[in-house]
Amino acid sequence: MTVPRLVVEEVSVRFGGLAAVDRVSLAIAPGEIRGLIGPNGAGKTTLFNAVAGLVYASAGRILLDGTDITRLPPHRRAHAGVRRSFQSVQLLGRLNVLENVLLGLHQSMARGMLASAADVLLRARREALAQTAAMQTLDYLGIADLALRPVAALSFAQQRYVEIARALAPRPRLLMLDEPAAGLSPAEVARMDGLLRQLRNEGMSILLVEHVLSLVFEVSDSISVLNNGRLISGGTPQAVAADPAVQAAYLGDEYNALT
Amino acid sequence: MRRRILALLPWLALCAVPLLTNGYSQYIINLILVNVTVITGLNFLLGYAGQFSFSHAALMGIGAYTAALLSARVGISFWIGLPLAGVASAAIGLLAAISAMRLKRVYLALVTVAFAELLVWVLNNWRAVTLGTDGVNLPVPSLFGWDVDGDKRVFYVVLACTATMWWLARRILESHIGRAFIAIRENEILAQCNGINVPLTKSLVFAMSAFYAGIGGALFALVLGFIVPASFGLLTLVTQFSAVVLGGPLNLAGGAIGALLLTALPEVLRDFQGLQEVIYGVVLIVCVVVMPGGIAGLLQHLGVLPAEALARHWRRLPTPAAPPSAADGTP
Repeated sequence: MTVPRLVVEEVSVRFGGLAAVDRVSLAIAPGEIRGLIGPNGAGKTTLFNAVAGLVYASAGRILLDGTDITRLPPHRRAHAGVRRSFQSVQLLGRLNVLENVLLGLHQSMARGMLASAADVLLRARREALAQTAAMQTLDYLGIADLALRPVAALSFAQQRYVEIARALAPRPRLLMLDEPAAGLSPAEVARMDGLLRQLRNEGMSILLVEHVLSLVFEVSDSISVLNNGRLISGGTPQAVAADPAVQAAYLGDEYNALT
Repeated sequence: MRRRILALLPWLALCAVPLLTNGYSQYIINLILVNVTVITGLNFLLGYAGQFSFSHAALMGIGAYTAALLSARVGISFWIGLPLAGVASAAIGLLAAISAMRLKRVYLALVTVAFAELLVWVLNNWRAVTLGTDGVNLPVPSLFGWDVDGDKRVFYVVLACTATMWWLARRILESHIGRAFIAIRENEILAQCNGINVPLTKSLVFAMSAFYAGIGGALFALVLGFIVPASFGLLTLVTQFSAVVLGGPLNLAGGAIGALLLTALPEVLRDFQGLQEVIYGVVLIVCVVVMPGGIAGLLQHLGVLPAEALARHWRRLPTPAAPPSAADGTP
């Protein structure tokens, strides 16, 4: 049996007396898209942040390819291969598209203090390699022609793709997308759907938090449902959609509209 | 290659400046060049990395005193004292970085003001070493038998150092380090999630900025020939901040413009005697209100100044090879 890409084992995150995430366990296989859904305040973002390292788990373990990353600070988790996008697009306005994507490749240029200094001052070989990787990623996403544009000049959907490019450029082990379809038109959502499938087919593991349920149920291999910080259901999209607990806790009218 | 030669042209042109100056104007130009180095360092910290630290003037003093005291009292050559001045300031600047790990904005500013006052207090009161308010004379350095005396000779030394520091600054800003500085200014969470070690990057920017202050301080001692602690107090700091804000934070050329104006303006206004400080203040306020991006921001807006690149080798930008698989439409 293969080692799961990500294992979340009995993880709790407490803020004071409140358990925002309460003993949640899940495992994501290599090349799996895992949807994470639940009503507002269910703990999706907190769980997301716990995996990224922005909040630390009060209890439990998080393993990436079998390695314990529970106590690693966020930048070390990024080095280990955990990359994310943000719910509201976070790009640096002072930088153009290519420079924003290069930010995601920081570690490939920063490794080794002396080597890094020599590269900055003299050769810039790593910088050139990183630029090649960044351009390839932009090309893969079909936005290579935007490389030298300021990010402020892009459409909302294009900005979202730049953010995904920044997360994809270092070839992460786990890609975490926080509501990638929010604010997109139906045609753009369909394109996002295609991109996620393509990434999955190439072996990428994706953790997907999304409120656009049609997208989640469409692309996810399996879905985990959170409510009040607890995992209340999980399984294939069909099983989750049929689970009465999920319908009661969350889906309601939205679910009826979906089917 | 052609671009490199083009980039060298302004510096070569500057070499001819002593043909046009008298002693006094040459002295002012030397001071401007010193301040370009100092302001470039502050621009890293305040402009690019967005750290509100107020110890830059005091760190410049550390550099000036390191070079002057080593030369005057220990007998170590100025050419060795110059890099040591940068290193000494960087080491002390790192102390300020420790508070930056925990504090932000106005709190960091307060702590660093106190830190700067402490440094100046030590310069004033540790008389056994620093000679206190009596000040220190820097002996005339000599380079392979060529005495660096007189403002025109000093100019070439200061010019060479400033050009080197400028080149260094550009290289850093065009690299992942410069982009990391901007990332921690804009959004530390974003920086972390992209693998940037935030405490390390902050330490780096404090040390680097202090290194520039230290080198600038040593050059300042060379230009003046005589230094006292009072040169590195709060007034100098305010002038340096004004230079960054007025010239344009987040732009090296802007910092240089700010250094030029704030060094030259008091000299130009000297004829107005009592009104000097009033005019100085009014000019500053008007500039900040009218041009929030500083002079460099305005020039960029007008299309005179090109946007500053934050990555190298645009010309050789690799055209992407075949993508891993066919992209699926354009968004």
